[in-house]
Amino acid sequence: MQFPFHKFGLIFRLVEEGDAEFILSLRTDKVHARYLSPTDNDLQKQIDWIREYKKREEKREEFYFLFANEDNEPVGVVRVYDIKDDTYTNGSWIVKPGCDEFISIKSDLFLSEFAATELKNKRCVFDVRKDNKKALRFHKMFARVTGEDELNYYFTIDEDGAKRKNEFLTSII
Amino acid sequence: MNIEKFVSEFADQFDDLDTSAFTPETLFKENDEWSSMTALSVIAMVDDSYAVRLTGDDIRNSKTIQQIYDIVLAKSN
Repeated sequence: MQFPFHKFGLIFRLVEEGDAEFILSLRTDKVHARYLSPTDNDLQKQIDWIREYKKREEKREEFYFLFANEDNEPVGVVRVYDIKDDTYTNGSWIVKPGCDEFISIKSDLFLSEFAATELKNKRCVFDVRKDNKKALRFHKMFARVTGEDELNYYFTIDEDGAKRKNEFLTSII
Repeated sequence: MNIEKFVSEFADQFDDLDTSAFTPETLFKENDEWSSMTALSVIAMVDDSYAVRLTGDDIRNSKTIQQIYDIVLAKSN
């Protein structure tokens, strides 16, 4: 897949060091980032994190995407990580407050397309915080719970579930 | 379909907000909990309970629960 990638009226590209301030602003938003792991409000730390991430990206171990609107204004990020022989996971999803409700759905569909072309034959596994009730209800429509701990439920989605989810989301946007 | 039941089902999609004052005229996006996941929850609820598929435009173009109800009613006929 070539970047920048244009789809659904959004522009997807890989995160760069210069995105640190935008990402920090999203991840330190107490309301919208409440289901993500805590992030120090420290710009240099965020820059350092991205610098380390770019090494993992180079080795195709991880992909951190920023998506922007057609005016090239950044509106959100999502990450694909823990890429193993047969599985991968996604997360770190966050959209700028006040944006169209369906931007995150479009970014989800983008990830499906990315996985279909770049992560062939790998199954998506992911975790959802137990207190993130809406996300749990949604994922249970298409994915299967494989385990749990105090904090999270763990899911996997098979080919049929992924297809049903894509059809459902595509019918909405 | 009746609007009282629909408002109750709509309100059930909010987990943190006090929805006891929800009415058909409630501006459902005017609160801190409204998000893409809430929109998806509403769409999934309508799909499951009324066999109607709401679209993003249906949600975008609506402000009140009554407007969503009217769309569901029109699509189910």
